[in-house]
Amino acid sequence: MTQKFTSDIIIGLEIHVELDTNSKLFCSCSTENTEEPNKHTCQVCLGHPGSKPVLNKQAVEFAIRLCLALNCRLNPKLIFSRKNYFYPDMAKNYQITQYEIPLGTGGKLSIANGKEIGIVRVHMEEDPASLVHLGSMETSPFVLVDYNRSGRPLCEVVTKPDMTGPDEARDFMKKLITVLNYIGIFDQNNCIIKADANVSIKESGYVRSEVKNITGFKEIERALRYEVERQKRDFKEGKRLILETRAWDSDKGITIRLRTKETEEDYGYILDPDLVVTEITEKWVGEVKKEMPELAQDKIQKFISKYKIDRIDAEVIAAERPLAEMFEEVAKKVNPQLAARWMRIELVRVMNYNEKTFDDIPVKSSHIIELLEMVEKREITDNVAKKIMERFMNEAFSPRAYAKEQGLKVVSDSSELEKVCRDVIRENPKAVEDVKAGNEKSLNFLIGQVMRRTKGQASPKELNEIIKKMIK
Amino acid sequence: MRQEEQSKKSSRKEIDIVESTEEALQEAKEINEEYNYLNVISENLALGQARAISKNPNKGRLSGIFVSVKDCLVVKDVESTAGSRILKGYKPVFNATAVQRCIDEGAIIIGKTSQDEFGFGSFSVNVGVDCKIPLNPYDTERACGGSSGGAGGFTRKFSKRHIALGESTGGSIVCPASFCGIVGLCPTYGLVSRYGLMDYANSLDKIGPMAKNVDDAALLLDVISGFDEKDSTSVGKKDFMSGMKKDSKLKVAIIEENFGKGTDEEVKQAVISALDKAGIKYDKVKLPLTAKYGIATYYLISMSEASTNLAKYCGMRYGKHEKLDGNFNEYFTKVRGMHFGKEAKRRIMLGTFARMSGFRDAYYMQAMKVRTRIIEEYKNLFRKYDILVSPTMPFIAPKFSEIQKLTPLQNYMADIMTAGPNLAGLPHMSINAGFSKKEKMPIGIMFIADHFEEGKMLNIGKKVEGSLND
Repeated sequence: MTQKFTSDIIIGLEIHVELDTNSKLFCSCSTENTEEPNKHTCQVCLGHPGSKPVLNKQAVEFAIRLCLALNCRLNPKLIFSRKNYFYPDMAKNYQITQYEIPLGTGGKLSIANGKEIGIVRVHMEEDPASLVHLGSMETSPFVLVDYNRSGRPLCEVVTKPDMTGPDEARDFMKKLITVLNYIGIFDQNNCIIKADANVSIKESGYVRSEVKNITGFKEIERALRYEVERQKRDFKEGKRLILETRAWDSDKGITIRLRTKETEEDYGYILDPDLVVTEITEKWVGEVKKEMPELAQDKIQKFISKYKIDRIDAEVIAAERPLAEMFEEVAKKVNPQLAARWMRIELVRVMNYNEKTFDDIPVKSSHIIELLEMVEKREITDNVAKKIMERFMNEAFSPRAYAKEQGLKVVSDSSELEKVCRDVIRENPKAVEDVKAGNEKSLNFLIGQVMRRTKGQASPKELNEIIKKMIK
Repeated sequence: MRQEEQSKKSSRKEIDIVESTEEALQEAKEINEEYNYLNVISENLALGQARAISKNPNKGRLSGIFVSVKDCLVVKDVESTAGSRILKGYKPVFNATAVQRCIDEGAIIIGKTSQDEFGFGSFSVNVGVDCKIPLNPYDTERACGGSSGGAGGFTRKFSKRHIALGESTGGSIVCPASFCGIVGLCPTYGLVSRYGLMDYANSLDKIGPMAKNVDDAALLLDVISGFDEKDSTSVGKKDFMSGMKKDSKLKVAIIEENFGKGTDEEVKQAVISALDKAGIKYDKVKLPLTAKYGIATYYLISMSEASTNLAKYCGMRYGKHEKLDGNFNEYFTKVRGMHFGKEAKRRIMLGTFARMSGFRDAYYMQAMKVRTRIIEEYKNLFRKYDILVSPTMPFIAPKFSEIQKLTPLQNYMADIMTAGPNLAGLPHMSINAGFSKKEKMPIGIMFIADHFEEGKMLNIGKKVEGSLND
């Protein structure tokens, strides 16, 4: 190992991303997920004799987008190799992948703490079929093969061993998913993202294990936390750590040894002679660039400088492309700071609470604009706005019409409001005395009473002032 | 009668196409009893096509002409095994592009011709387990050549109008053409789509015609050539048909190394006298790099590729399978051990070795570099010459008893003249240049042209063919 490590933990990731193309990498079969096994198959993705691969241009463009987003150098020639090994999920018993010269090299991606994680390479390859077992792999009396997945396009992203803790690995994955969503090459609901993590600790002299098949960014932190602890424990108990491949069992929350890697596997790579070299011309890259949306990092900068919103607000909003795009539309009509506050805190909160993603909610930016305009003009209270926001999780509607229909508007007729306040003060002499003695809690109690009687349509801020004045 | 004329006749229904197909099938069966040229006679397909044509005349250029297909090219619903037992029973779900183009032009597909298993041989003796070896049409104690041996023998023996679809990786079209006394044409790499070809070595495999005369070879090539979106390595074509007819002055040279002591005297004489008889002047040129490294380079690349291509045959999805037991590795090993022939196993092992880490740079990668140099060596000569001439094979068709005595390396050396143009992807063609005096066995003369210069090659081929027929 040429690299000198110093930190307690060293982590490097190999991440497989399924690209959201319409058809497979080397044939025209659909990539759609389906319950029916072997529905989307043909002679090519089944590896029938005589069939030949033809490269999917859209997949190449998606991969170029990813390389650009990760600041990689693009190789001017796209070359595919055969990785040879026998396995029942492989239609041809070799996988078409990239070996010597990957599409992209030497990139980087910044994580939340500002650290840059190096990207060694980004390459393209085909997915194998999926194996279906009855119950667990160990006890199943048979294995079925479903070729729907066979030949779907993947990008493999290999990082440098730059991460020094499971939290950084989690954050890297999260950032990568943000990038993938932004550049429109990944569908979170249909596409799979999987990581293999290389992890080692200082005590052992950085003898690494590779933990395979970790799905999603929450899992990666769990898996790596477990694996680091395991290595430390084994080391403490005097066990010699060895180069090995381990599997992550998400249900049990443990890693299990698959095989030791005393020698590297030999895949006997050759160039795939069925595929010609594809030139990645500057012109082509230029066209791909033109179609690339603004990335999260660019949006954050723009939000801060153009809309003058907080960095934290900007980062949260920019983390999800649809949220960021909706924010930009809303900020054109509504005060951007108000919009940022409402969208970052309220919209994200109710979405998380209801376990919804942007794809699930029916609401359009026009509805949010209408709602926030009403808030801005104080036509409704924050409480009413929050309730409307919650309703937006399940249906799209005009908040103005809804408020009118439900009789929900700010009780701003001060004479009416003052009358309610007077009633409340009269009925709660004890609380009034406490307020006079400087008890804030009692003031809040009085405000709460008025809110209840006005069904939350009064503005708490205004009430605060009215009641204080009356008591003095 | 030339086949183009016959083709016109058949579409005018002067011959009853169904009746003649029945006769042809009968004749094919009789020939096959004795010579083993066809792994499958596609009776139902042929009769179905004949009936369809008789009802609804096909105006295509191959209308009513019989076409046989080398077993390694897939024909829909007709057992296609590339001469290997491991694919026994496999009926493809699609037609190879070359086959489809023949069918579209009205050809009648008569059967699948026998070959060395997956093309692994120069004499068609390396047939798959349980497969029969085709016998030379001139002397049944001798080989047809390979690997398109069945195609060569059937083309010579079959009396009906017929052209064969052959395939060459390192000489498998011209070698059997030479040994069976017919025309064999291997086109520029990429000119004919490989879609539907069960791969031997993808960067070397070419599909081409084998016929009784140059005109028919050109006709079939014209039908099957041209770009196909299903094969990434296929390219568009140049009009070679008019190039063939032009009265052009071609600059010709003979390849000196191929007239050395490894070549039989009678073979050398026949080739030189064929040129002299046609009044063709020639220079002498050398291809030192090709002569020295051609065979080694060819076998390293072809075996490396072949060993990956054959990985898919494991008894899981198609072809032969066995009782499932053990783990997948044990099962695959069992199926492959039982159903691959000896030469297939040898090439899988050699090819796998040549691409293993530690050896990959010294063998596979080195061979890829030498290949580029060999192409350059030919390209330099084609700056000055239009056609290079050589014997096709250094000897006449050997006896089976002689072949048995050869070591594998001696076997591989038989490709000394054909490996070069195949490695360089250059078009080359063998035509009959006469017969040996004692054995009365055919001798082939080979013409090599620059990439996409099939027109020039056909042009000189016709000239030599014409002067020999006089």
